[in-house]
Amino acid sequence: MSAIVLDKVSRWYGNVVAVNDVTMTIGPGITGLLGPNGAGKSTLISMMGGFLAPSAGTVALDGGHVWKNPEIYRKVGLVPEAEAMYDMVTGAQFLLANARLHGLGDPGAAARRALEQVDMVEPSDRAIATYSKGMKQRIKMATALVHDPAVLLLDEPFNGMDPRQRLHLMDLLRRLAAEGRTVLFSSHILEEVEQIADHIEVLVAGRHAASGDYRRIRRLMTERPHQYTIASSDDRRLGAALVAEGAADGVTLTNGTLAVQTSDFGRFVHALPRLARDAGVRLLDVSPADESLESVFAYLVAR
Amino acid sequence: MNPVVMQLTVRGLLGRRRSLLLVILPALLLGLAALTRWGSHAAPGASASLTGNFAMGTLLPLMCLLIGTGVIGPEIDDGSIVYLLNKPVPRRSILLAKLAVALATTLVFAVLPIAAGAAIAGDEGFKLTAAYGLAALLAGIAYTTIFVALSVLSRNAVIVGLLYALLWEGVLGGYVPGVKDVSVRQWALAPAEHLLDAADAAGWGVTSAVSMSVGVTLLVVVTLGAGWLAIGKLKTLRLAAAE
Amino acid sequence: MSSQPIVPAVPAQPAQPAADVIHDIGFRHYEGERFGRGWVVRSLLVDTLRGVFGLGRPARAKVMPWILVGILLAPPLVVALVAVLTGASKLPISYTQYLTQLQLPIALFVAGAAPYAVSRDLRYGVMPLYLSRPMIRTDYVWARYGGVAIAVFLVTAGPQTLLLIGALLAKMPVGDQIAGWLGGLLASVLLAVLLATIGLVIAAFTPRRGLGVAAIITTLLVVSGISLALSGIAQTQGSHTWAVLAGVLDPNRLVDGMAAKLLGVDPAIAEFAPTTGGEVAVYALAYVVLVAGAGALLLRRYRKAGRL
Repeated sequence: MSAIVLDKVSRWYGNVVAVNDVTMTIGPGITGLLGPNGAGKSTLISMMGGFLAPSAGTVALDGGHVWKNPEIYRKVGLVPEAEAMYDMVTGAQFLLANARLHGLGDPGAAARRALEQVDMVEPSDRAIATYSKGMKQRIKMATALVHDPAVLLLDEPFNGMDPRQRLHLMDLLRRLAAEGRTVLFSSHILEEVEQIADHIEVLVAGRHAASGDYRRIRRLMTERPHQYTIASSDDRRLGAALVAEGAADGVTLTNGTLAVQTSDFGRFVHALPRLARDAGVRLLDVSPADESLESVFAYLVAR
Repeated sequence: MNPVVMQLTVRGLLGRRRSLLLVILPALLLGLAALTRWGSHAAPGASASLTGNFAMGTLLPLMCLLIGTGVIGPEIDDGSIVYLLNKPVPRRSILLAKLAVALATTLVFAVLPIAAGAAIAGDEGFKLTAAYGLAALLAGIAYTTIFVALSVLSRNAVIVGLLYALLWEGVLGGYVPGVKDVSVRQWALAPAEHLLDAADAAGWGVTSAVSMSVGVTLLVVVTLGAGWLAIGKLKTLRLAAAE
Repeated sequence: MSSQPIVPAVPAQPAQPAADVIHDIGFRHYEGERFGRGWVVRSLLVDTLRGVFGLGRPARAKVMPWILVGILLAPPLVVALVAVLTGASKLPISYTQYLTQLQLPIALFVAGAAPYAVSRDLRYGVMPLYLSRPMIRTDYVWARYGGVAIAVFLVTAGPQTLLLIGALLAKMPVGDQIAGWLGGLLASVLLAVLLATIGLVIAAFTPRRGLGVAAIITTLLVVSGISLALSGIAQTQGSHTWAVLAGVLDPNRLVDGMAAKLLGVDPAIAEFAPTTGGEVAVYALAYVVLVAGAGALLLRRYRKAGRL
């Protein structure tokens, strides 16, 4: 059971702050690092993996520093972002080399086991240059698993995977986490994170926006005030009815539109048609204000 | 020094188009040496000219550049070096392993052929061979280490290395006084000059602008310095960012 | 994923006096003029030419070409000044000899230019992007080639022109100087065409970063050295003809030899220059074979390049 502890970690490049005062603990189980592109997820994972020094703060693995400390790689498996590999060797030879570099007692057995875990035993005696993209991804996974690490860091592992490979990888990660390992993966797709992560950390514009159980955060997100723009045949009447009913927190009447704020999305959605019908108001247009992930994140950051 | 890293490096070096050049060039040199012997009836003067100008001046720095950049440059460039860096292996070991492969390759494909070329083209009891062999060995070690360090420090190592080896040491060395004092080739020639007696040295062009002690000292300082810089940079190497 | 928030849909204002209209702000069609293949090729050529000198590229890319341009312009400047000051009646170095004197910086320039022109596109696999424009495979090659060849020509003709200016300022006989200068330009053209072809062929087969530069300069220097060594050997063996013919291996000697005989100027390496008609014919033939052969190889390299 290993844990990575980040304490007030920041990273800047000149005037650009990539990661801004992030404090978090990554413990056993699957943690999803979620955030839009450019949020600093890769930077954060690089720092956790000892490939980048934080400009401020500390990153510690089980109490020991990760920067300039190659020993951590006995416990940490990093799945690299790089596309390129040692093309001219076969998959099996490459895994064997990786196993030997880890200083394992029986590198052959470890390599074989890793190949089995990713289902790459058959093609393992062909040169890596002949592999398809998906096969190369699986070999990459295998190199991160060959030394049976307690911690696994994956940077956008589902990028470009077809559905079958995705399922296979998710299965693998679940199994690894069930064995007590600490698995961290990054993604900008909510659904991917939703399917396997027990715990999510949300990163927006370098700042740590949210952390915790996925379901609770989801509820938090649905509890944020929603904005709707309504055009109807009688805005004032409709607005009054909504406020009286309690389905809206506030209404604003502007020239020809009714802007509604509500924190109870469900209630509003059910109440609106009923109220409109009861008040004899015709709804001409109902549209939500932006629902993009960024606005959700922005909301989380603003909180 | 890590044997696995060495194996991977050897595979990488020999498996690429680069390796063609590494074999063709010494072969050409040896061919030329044979022709020179036939043409000038094994006169040491002609051999010295071939070895001093073509082999030492052109071939050696270029081959060291190809070898030095080839052991680590492509891996850093495409990011596959991460597979070496994400292991519990000290960065020092990784660099020294690659340097060892580079030096061995330089020895086999550059230094030995140059010495052999001198012997084949014409010699007086192996004196010229020994002198140029020594110079090539010392210069080869220095060049290779410098170019390996350059590859770690800069992604444009080849261009910088070329500008140094050819323009600085070659062209400018002829025009601007003082440049010769800061030249690997001159430093390496100093001990070689010492091996021969004055007449031979002058006649065969094995002369150096610096004294032996200065030359050897600078060679050692520069070689060790380059190695140290390379190790230091490798410890903090930033891989190409993904996002 | 865009980081801009989606603009909320604003419903149509009900009380507008103007006619109801839906503005098409979606996909914009382009109905204007579309330039043809010629224009595309010309733009790529100009773009290559500019890029070789680092224009339109980051500062880092300007370093090497302009250092070399500086190195190439410095000697003519010095020679011109000396000529003006000492009032010489003849330039110490002829327009064609100058090309051989500075073959190293010229070779370095080609070694930097050719990989920029072709290696990067092959390395990153963007050839399909080029070929999905109104431009065929050979157009691309010609455009890139033209850019590099013109760049090399400028880099060699520039110094020659500087020499001319110096000579004219030193009040040397105008007619002679202009004739010499034109001859020098002809030699420059021949050299540029040959070096560009060789450089591009090598660069097209070595897409790896840095390898193309090293391979080109190595090739040019090594053939130059071998050529000279072979000439020396042949000479000591008493065969002057072979000593001269060994010059076809070195692009510089090849061009210089032809130019010297055709224009009647002094060759750079007098002892090994072609003097008989037969020798010059061999030189000319070798030149044509080299350019045509390398060119064909280059075109062939791109036959499969557009594969996705």
